[in-house]
Amino acid sequence: MATSTTVSLPLPSSRRGLGWRGDKVQRFLLHDRTLGYLFLFPALLVIVGLVAYPFASAIVMTFQAKTAGAPGRFIGLDNYRELFSSEQFLRTVVNTAVYTAVGVGIKFLLGLSMALVLNQERFCNNLFRSFLLIPWAIPTVMSALNWRWIFDDASGLINNILVRLNLIEESISWLSNPHLAMFSVIVVVIWQGTPFFTMSFLAGLQAIPKELYEAAEIDGASVLQQFTNITLPRLHPIFVTAVMLSAILTSAAIQFVLILTNGGPSDRTMIFSVLAYHLALGGAQRLGMGAAVSLVFFPILVVFIVFLTRRMLREKGE
Amino acid sequence: MALRMTTQRRALQGLGNGVLVLMLLWTAIPFYWMIATSLKHDKEIYGYEATLIPQRPTLANYATVFRETPYLLYLRNSVVVAVGSTVLSMVIACLGAYAIARLNFPGRALLARGLVFTYLVPTSLLFIPMFAMMSVLRLTDSLHGLIIAYLGFDVPFCTWLLMGYFKSVPVELEEAARVDGCNRVSALVRVVLPMSLPALVVVTFFSFTHAWNEFLYAHVFTSTTGARTVTTGLVNFMSQDVFFWGPLMASTVMSALPPVLMFLLFQRWVVKGLTLGGVKG
Repeated sequence: MATSTTVSLPLPSSRRGLGWRGDKVQRFLLHDRTLGYLFLFPALLVIVGLVAYPFASAIVMTFQAKTAGAPGRFIGLDNYRELFSSEQFLRTVVNTAVYTAVGVGIKFLLGLSMALVLNQERFCNNLFRSFLLIPWAIPTVMSALNWRWIFDDASGLINNILVRLNLIEESISWLSNPHLAMFSVIVVVIWQGTPFFTMSFLAGLQAIPKELYEAAEIDGASVLQQFTNITLPRLHPIFVTAVMLSAILTSAAIQFVLILTNGGPSDRTMIFSVLAYHLALGGAQRLGMGAAVSLVFFPILVVFIVFLTRRMLREKGE
Repeated sequence: MALRMTTQRRALQGLGNGVLVLMLLWTAIPFYWMIATSLKHDKEIYGYEATLIPQRPTLANYATVFRETPYLLYLRNSVVVAVGSTVLSMVIACLGAYAIARLNFPGRALLARGLVFTYLVPTSLLFIPMFAMMSVLRLTDSLHGLIIAYLGFDVPFCTWLLMGYFKSVPVELEEAARVDGCNRVSALVRVVLPMSLPALVVVTFFSFTHAWNEFLYAHVFTSTTGARTVTTGLVNFMSQDVFFWGPLMASTVMSALPPVLMFLLFQRWVVKGLTLGGVKG
């Protein structure tokens, strides 16, 4: 009994480790250090072996002509030179920017509306919320396959309905029409990715104290004023984190394009991850060229990554 | 004025209900089409007799999947890889997170930073050098290779998430345990871990579903049937001559079920973990 009282007493931090506990703490500190490194060693091994080393070797690869399993031959900046003079690469840059900006933008707006709607009170609201979040839980490959079938030229759902309603004479090639392909891919990205924004924003909305709205109401603020003066500023930090995270992952996601269009028709949906994949693993196996494509995009991603790292650590109080 | 407020509120509620109905339809229709297709005969899937609602529902497509494709093998592989990478990353992450949260040693903050940073680097930047590395190590076409490769994502994420939870366990409890004769390891196992149960659930959920859903590494590292997981297996069905939407949708439904059920089961914790950790969206 006496022991537990002593232990739960909040000692001022400056006094910790002084007095009778001094030498014991000293011993533990030494112990701590060894144990700390020992505990962290496996995690460190993973980071170095599976992220840092591959990343460093990707940089080396970009200066090489290399195929898998064989040592590379140093060719200086040739890979980069070829890349920057290729029209395909320039188109890929534009496509990736459009794909990411439009995808993230619409996901953001839809996610915010969904969160606002789900934040209202209504019958069975929890059930609706669970249901609306399911697209996020489904493996992205399964969603992509399902949508490929929905977009199918001959018997897909969309053409099926449009023909039934007599809106079209001939079926529309959603995924192989050069003007529609990017649009169709983005639709799938939005379907799958909106719940992530909904979840983040809904959590943010629920953390806003109700008193703020009550006070605003007493002061005669309209619903719109409450939204712009309370809701938006309070959600702002979440907006930034969610958008950045989603931008990194949307731009880098490969499976939607790979499964739906494989970059076609005539490179209209070619984004950088898919181009890297084709160069490195399709036919010619030019690993150096593929790595160069990814690396050219890395500086843009790294700005986001560094910013997010800071933010996420600050939230954890590191 | 109070009256104006009520009218505004009521209008908003109505608008909200309308938007909700649209959102529910937008979310539900693709699911419906997936399930409906899996229950149809080919005659109702293709051509002029194609239907929107299955007229004579059948489980024939499911039977075809099990009888004529290596789907069961893919399923087994997915389970092995998901369980293997989850268990390994849990052990590594618990130790690492405990070290960062509780132990005092130089380089601690730097390591925490490194963890978040590596977690945010997308795999599509790493798959080419990883493929080269795996080829050299002869770990392509192997489930071991995939388990190891997935640690590169799981360990940083799990460590980082657990770190926060471990910090919220009162130090005093652990000190009491130490006074009672526990050493660091048993204090971790007996005091910190039981108190972090919600975090452990979230972390298990994420590493399991990550391995289950992962496509790029599995696709790039594997070229034989024996080592395919569900995701690459299904995509591979598509590239074969047997291009059949009925069985393909049947296997899609079955493969999507485990992560969806897990999500519904652990939803409350998962959403919390997600907002804490910012999970890949």
